[in-house]
Amino acid sequence: MRGEIRDGRIVPMIGRRRFLQSAAWMSGAVATGVSSWVFQAGWANAAAGPIKVGIATDLTGAIAQEGNANANVAKMVVKDINNAGGILGRPIELFVVDTASNESVAIANVRRLIQRDKVDVVLGGITSSMRNAIKDVIVTRGKTLYIYPQLYEGRECTPYIFCTGPTPAQQCDEFIPWLMKNGGKRFALPSSNYVWPRLLNEYARKVIEKNGGEVVFEEYYPLDQIEFSAAVNNIMTNNVELVFNTIIWPGVGPFFKQLYQAGFGKRGGRRACVFYDENTLNINVPQEIEGLASCLDYFRAVTAEDAASARIQAEYDRQFPGKILFTAGGAATGMYRGLKLWELAVKEAGNLDREHVAEALDHAKISEGPGGPAEMVPGTRHCKMKMYTAVAKNGRFAIVARSDGLVDPREC
Amino acid sequence: MESALNASFEVLSFGAVIVLVVLGLGVIAGMMGIFNFAHGEFVLLGAYTTYLVHSFGLPVWLGMLVAPLVVAAIGFVLERLVIRHFYANPVVAMLGTYALGLVIREGVRSLIGGLYLSVPEPIVGSLTIASVQLSRWRLAIVLITTAVMLASFLLLTRTSFGLRVRAALENPSLARASGISTNALYAATFTFGAALAGLAGALVVPLFSLFADLGIRFLIQGFLAIMLGGIGTFAGSVVGAAAVGLLSAALPWAVAPMLADVLVFVIAIVFVKIQPRGLISGRRA
Repeated sequence: MRGEIRDGRIVPMIGRRRFLQSAAWMSGAVATGVSSWVFQAGWANAAAGPIKVGIATDLTGAIAQEGNANANVAKMVVKDINNAGGILGRPIELFVVDTASNESVAIANVRRLIQRDKVDVVLGGITSSMRNAIKDVIVTRGKTLYIYPQLYEGRECTPYIFCTGPTPAQQCDEFIPWLMKNGGKRFALPSSNYVWPRLLNEYARKVIEKNGGEVVFEEYYPLDQIEFSAAVNNIMTNNVELVFNTIIWPGVGPFFKQLYQAGFGKRGGRRACVFYDENTLNINVPQEIEGLASCLDYFRAVTAEDAASARIQAEYDRQFPGKILFTAGGAATGMYRGLKLWELAVKEAGNLDREHVAEALDHAKISEGPGGPAEMVPGTRHCKMKMYTAVAKNGRFAIVARSDGLVDPREC
Repeated sequence: MESALNASFEVLSFGAVIVLVVLGLGVIAGMMGIFNFAHGEFVLLGAYTTYLVHSFGLPVWLGMLVAPLVVAAIGFVLERLVIRHFYANPVVAMLGTYALGLVIREGVRSLIGGLYLSVPEPIVGSLTIASVQLSRWRLAIVLITTAVMLASFLLLTRTSFGLRVRAALENPSLARASGISTNALYAATFTFGAALAGLAGALVVPLFSLFADLGIRFLIQGFLAIMLGGIGTFAGSVVGAAAVGLLSAALPWAVAPMLADVLVFVIAIVFVKIQPRGLISGRRA
């Protein structure tokens, strides 16, 4: 969030400044910075006034890296739309608020977005707990459209919520058979103890067993655990061939390191983790995760085979050089897709009425996006997209398999 | 047999990590009666210094040598500027050090951009003993911890500096009357504690990677260790740390990990109920 927008300006709003807020004593609460910004279009002179797009994402806190990438993508896409003449002849004004990786802070900020700024649509939220915290404020009480961009555990079937990230079906249906062909049959499912791993594992287990594989053990760890010797020993002694990991950070780095040191890779074991993207690759030194497989809607390596992806990636890198990367594991690609689909839906609807836009969004299609085309599956509010399987080689992801067409989300 | 050997090594090495982290906390709490809530962040600063040195293209072991010195210097400055005003009031000291910790943690978070960064071990690979893989770096940590523990113990019990520290602990006014500057001693003790935290951070960062919340989990385990070991002695905090470290590394081998996490605390609380002054009770009640 630095003022590098060229055709817009950053107008700080009244009384907003970063402040530190300590939450829970002794439990090591995290500090959160609360902030919001408005990016006005340079030509905000259309008769009907600008269309207001709200972005609610984690600009500070534990997943600020992902949140800032989401905000960057939104700025990039909105700038693009404004340069091309806006939507329905009106420019877009972007309202960005911080959900701060903290649900209570988020609810207050999102409420402000709805009640004071009166935005026409809200995109954002990364974790499922964040989505669950803010969705009611947006959709039920706020009577506004909500687009959720992150890969997640599925089962979000609330009307007026549209999901543009991959679901368990999209991340498992083609990936698990590939893993079994390239690794073996005996799976371990080590996981962090919260909703995403539990529901993803439930789906993955079905796919594994349907394909003749076996889940040797499925275990859940506290979210802040960073020592996994017992789990690693279990994996080593039970002749596990494939580790389908859903331990998240901070535990995931130490876990892969211990697995490496125990010799799991050396004896031919395959590691898989479906949120691993170019950001997460840095958690370990390259040899510790050599051969790790991931399945997402986009990897940087896709730019070599898809011209639209290459163009989007290059434009992002030009506008936002530095450490905040454009990746699929943290909702940035879903954010791009969501904004583009919504743009088309508004154009088709011809107005901003929630019913009309939702109706048009229900069957919206884009022919170009990160990873390729995407389209909403009518009646499900979920998105079909191309999926890629990639393997870490010397600290980079190389694409080893891709879906033939668009993969069905199989939700709702 | 293999599994048992493997388990004991892993439990021992994690125990060593906890001892290393808690040592500095225990020295400050035991000697000065200050519960340093910024200790986890001193550990983080040690880890960050190591990362920084490594990112300049210098060897990791150099970073590990520099880290305790850098953190000691930061600790010294903070003690002179902030901490010494808290000695009269331990509750204010807790809040004050907590605030300091918050500032350091969020500062480091913005410096590293909220990322998780890897730092390679200075000694890579594993030793194979009876077909069990033992990580060389974990082995090194066990050895370094033992050496640091011994050195700290000798410093406090066998040197004139240690004698003066213990005198100031026992009876500060009498120590001052005998010409010992308790003011200077407290500064030295706090600096020493900070240096130990810096060393701990530097040594464990290759195991757990660098991230802003690295120190928090250790802080909770550290206080548990001090509660368990008893306040006011050096040996108490070491024994407490060993107990907590071994317990939290060993329990997941026996029960479900979610249960183990809670059990460590339950066992500690039950123990403190039975033995309120800790494993090794201090000279001060």
